Amino acid sequence: MSEPFEPKIVAFVCTYCTYAGADLAGTSRLKYAPNVRIVRLPCTGRISPMFILKALQKGADGVLVSGCHPGDCHFTHGNYHARRRWTVFRALLEFTGIPLERVKFSWISAAEGGKFADFMNSVTEDIRKLGPFDQYQRLINETEAPATL
Amino acid sequence: MPQCPMHRSISSFILKDCIMAKIGVFICHCGENIGAKVDCTKLAATMGEHPGVAIAVDYKYFCSDPGQESVKRAIRENNLTGVVVAACSPRMHEATFRKACAEAGLNPYMCEIANIREQCSWVHNDPVMATEKAADITRSMVEKVKRNNNLQPIEVPVTRRALVIGGGIAGIQAALDIANAGQEVVLVEREPTLGGHMAQLSETFPTLDCSQCIMTPRMVEAAQHPKIRLLTYAEVVGVDGYIGNFHVKVKMKARYVDTESCTGCGDCITKCPNKKISSEFDCGLGKRPAIYTPFAQSVPNKPIIDKANCTYFKNGKCKVCVKVCQLNSINFEMQDEFIDLEIGAIVVATGFQVQDNSVYGEYGYGKYKDIINGLQFERLASASGPTSGKILRPSDGKEPETIVFIQCAGSRDPSKGVRYCSKICCMYTAKHAMLYAHKVHGGKSNIFYMDIRAAGKGYDEFTRRAIEDDEASYLRGRVSKVWEENGKLMVRGVDTLLGKPVVIAADMVVLATAMVSQPDAKDFAKTIGIGYDEYGFFNEAHLKLRPVESSTAGIFLAGACQSPKDIPDSVAQASASASKILALFSKEKLEREPVVATNNEATCAGCWGCVLACPYNAIDKKDILDRSGKVIKRVASVNPGLCQGCGTCVSFCRSNSLDLAGFTEKQIFAEVMGL
Amino acid sequence: MSIQEQYKKRVREILSSGAVKMVIGYQAGTTADRRRPLFIRTPEEAEKLVLDSACIANLSGYLVTEGLLSDEKSVGIFLRPDGIRSINILAAEAQLNPEQVVILGFDGNEKEVTALQGEKAKDFTAIIASIKEHAPSAPRNPQLEQIEKMSPKERFEFWQAEFSRCIKCYACRQACPMCYCRRCIVDSNQPQWVNTSSHTLGNLEWNVVRAFHLSGRCVGCGNCDRACPVNIPLRLINAKMAGEVLGAFDHFAGMSETQEPVLASFKKDDSETFIL
Repeated sequence: MSEPFEPKIVAFVCTYCTYAGADLAGTSRLKYAPNVRIVRLPCTGRISPMFILKALQKGADGVLVSGCHPGDCHFTHGNYHARRRWTVFRALLEFTGIPLERVKFSWISAAEGGKFADFMNSVTEDIRKLGPFDQYQRLINETEAPATL
Repeated sequence: MPQCPMHRSISSFILKDCIMAKIGVFICHCGENIGAKVDCTKLAATMGEHPGVAIAVDYKYFCSDPGQESVKRAIRENNLTGVVVAACSPRMHEATFRKACAEAGLNPYMCEIANIREQCSWVHNDPVMATEKAADITRSMVEKVKRNNNLQPIEVPVTRRALVIGGGIAGIQAALDIANAGQEVVLVEREPTLGGHMAQLSETFPTLDCSQCIMTPRMVEAAQHPKIRLLTYAEVVGVDGYIGNFHVKVKMKARYVDTESCTGCGDCITKCPNKKISSEFDCGLGKRPAIYTPFAQSVPNKPIIDKANCTYFKNGKCKVCVKVCQLNSINFEMQDEFIDLEIGAIVVATGFQVQDNSVYGEYGYGKYKDIINGLQFERLASASGPTSGKILRPSDGKEPETIVFIQCAGSRDPSKGVRYCSKICCMYTAKHAMLYAHKVHGGKSNIFYMDIRAAGKGYDEFTRRAIEDDEASYLRGRVSKVWEENGKLMVRGVDTLLGKPVVIAADMVVLATAMVSQPDAKDFAKTIGIGYDEYGFFNEAHLKLRPVESSTAGIFLAGACQSPKDIPDSVAQASASASKILALFSKEKLEREPVVATNNEATCAGCWGCVLACPYNAIDKKDILDRSGKVIKRVASVNPGLCQGCGTCVSFCRSNSLDLAGFTEKQIFAEVMGL
Repeated sequence: MSIQEQYKKRVREILSSGAVKMVIGYQAGTTADRRRPLFIRTPEEAEKLVLDSACIANLSGYLVTEGLLSDEKSVGIFLRPDGIRSINILAAEAQLNPEQVVILGFDGNEKEVTALQGEKAKDFTAIIASIKEHAPSAPRNPQLEQIEKMSPKERFEFWQAEFSRCIKCYACRQACPMCYCRRCIVDSNQPQWVNTSSHTLGNLEWNVVRAFHLSGRCVGCGNCDRACPVNIPLRLINAKMAGEVLGAFDHFAGMSETQEPVLASFKKDDSETFIL
């Protein structure tokens, strides 16, 4: 029997809420799927939609974006700005054929370690069901020289 | 040579980032915490082969003294250009390891933490998967740290002089706390005297001590304090600059009385022929002359001339005050003056106003003389008030036998624009009922209420006393209408506990008016550059964790300008603001994390979306001029003193001109590609 | 007098009175149904002007040519309502002073054009407001609806087929009045966010980034679409995104000179249906 498909998922999170929530999941010893890799940013306001494209370019099967609940942003408004960008960018991704099941957004506070763990599990499961993002992988493979810095 | 996974061709950038990089990777077992799930030895071997890694080692506890020493030794011996510590969350020990790096001569911002405990070993069961994930996390941080730059803490010089705006109890408290710690304070009050609303109150809950008895000594203390410069009848009209370096413009309104020579003898006040002006201090229940001090204990106790009502200013004739003044202190030619102040930090304590109760047409405020608001009742009950503390009806001066108090007259009523609870009305209404019971024996008070909110030290006991000892009759329900009938005020309401409508014939009705923001609060917030909510109350930086800071660094809030507050809360917030400022003033220079946005002016298109997006007003519009002074180009310019490093502007910037130190586009890109 | 002659007369007037230093309009093109931009500085040159239903290009992008408006003199320009909206956006984004732009407004269909009353961008506020009002009920491009009905996989294939033709000539960028950046993000190579080679991944990234940067700013003039030498239907993406910002934030690009950019502002109660 072949090994089950283990998706690669990249998460972009703000340091004040979701990253702290992920830490709380750790200190509470909650167990969740090991498929997600976290990139820490100061605020959701810093999470440029470009990051999502870069994660896909890196071969991610799914991308998560998460930060403070509305009203709780450490920088007061960063997440409100982020929310607008996400709304627009998500619609754009959908229109260009990137399945929305692969790009998920959430609010996870520093107190929501449980929510963080559940979210990681559910997203991993969903993407495992979808299978690898072959369509995108084909594009990456056609690329002769990968992106350079 | 192992090939870098990110590069297949060679360029000078790659040379700098990858080939010349000497990164040290330090993998911590954290005892069993990491070691039990992540194969740290294997991880060290993997990382050791990664391009640009000069040394990769694992150890039981890197945060221990010997652990930190080994990191420092490795930095020195290998001339490391960057350090990655794979260990617990950066929220735990980032500061520890950055300090260790600095001690070994490496810029602290060249150190990054790979979180393989909270976000790896503690949350995953499978050791193979956990080790694989730990390698990804660590590699990603190695790729990031290769692109890190040396950062220096931003040093901002601090002018050690505080500005306190508002001379009520909150402003006075903040000013005294700062001054008593030895720092200079400028206290600006727009009325002719210090005191604010607290000076108008009769007694204060829950102790029933006289407000003026506790307030006036503080006013005098503030005025006489050698470290406090008091500017009354003055308004802040402009604030520029940033934390530690504000430039403030204050308008000194013309008093027409020279405060230097005036001794406050009061002859002019006694002799002024125009004595029929409604007194603001007595909320319209008393009269004052055209040259006046708001109340007997005013600080400074020097009169001003009310230009709008002065006979000389109106008709060009009179000058009685000039004749009686033996010190020639009256000067009708006086003009408004402007003074510029250099300020390091600001406390905004501009207070509140009572809502205009005429919005309640059904209650007849303004129509019937004996319907008054809570603040007017304070003046009636005050020994220094228009009735010398006797509770008398404004209409005929008779003692009321029955008073109806209506709580939430404005508060918690979205239809009148105030959705919030004004917080103090339950308490002051109970106090009013007690004062009335003490002053008018046999007086009957009926209180219509929605809920009794008496949370606070001694507060619930206080309202119980009003009910049990002073026989205030509480009726749970709203009043629908008040009208006059046979010299009585008929109050129709409902007692929801009995489920019956009630009509009470009262001699006086007191409305527990909502506390609202100052009418010019929103404009003022724009002047000084802080945020405000839909009601005009000023916004704190964080409702729970930074309740005394405004969102603008260096500007703090105290008292009811932020939200309705009672005296203890206002004083507590004022002292908290003062302590924040004293911490700021404890150093000559302010050191700030260098995680701030920077703008590439060469590529900036000057669309200024970032200026709008910045939550801190930290981005200015800047003109770039040629030698002749002509504008060549207009760009955005980040003020590092104000920038808090959220990066919202960076994600907005279409041309990628803005970037965030410590989280640059290049670093994040590398981090993603390193995963 | 035909509308073309009316406007020629007006152009002569404003040029000879010195009200404007230049007029940007249309002249005959290489074929009967094509028009090309015309830049004239003297009243005599007004004779070359052509104004008819073939004048479809949005000329507003020429106004942000480096240095053109820096002498604070005015420029006259022929614009349809979409072009006037572009002026509003450029003003809101501090790229020009709308007082310097004298608008020769016109509108029309495939057959004929009509004159629009007004001179400065703000004079056309009512016209733009009525376009916004009718935007949600306006007939939608059938191809757009067809794409929306596809499965994600089909959509991906559809756009891959379209984007595979892209040669990264950036004609779409050059033609767009909103692409005024001094350095486009694709030209930034530290880091290289967008792959510059015209392989399919780079093409996808470029087109996604371009569409994102135009979200809430595109007026649907179609300049990019017409400029594309390989006929990628860029207009569809832009129309889709314009519909999204209108639906989600009630934002219709170019309503006024002071309209806040949709992605630099927010409302606390912006809708969020997708955030978990």
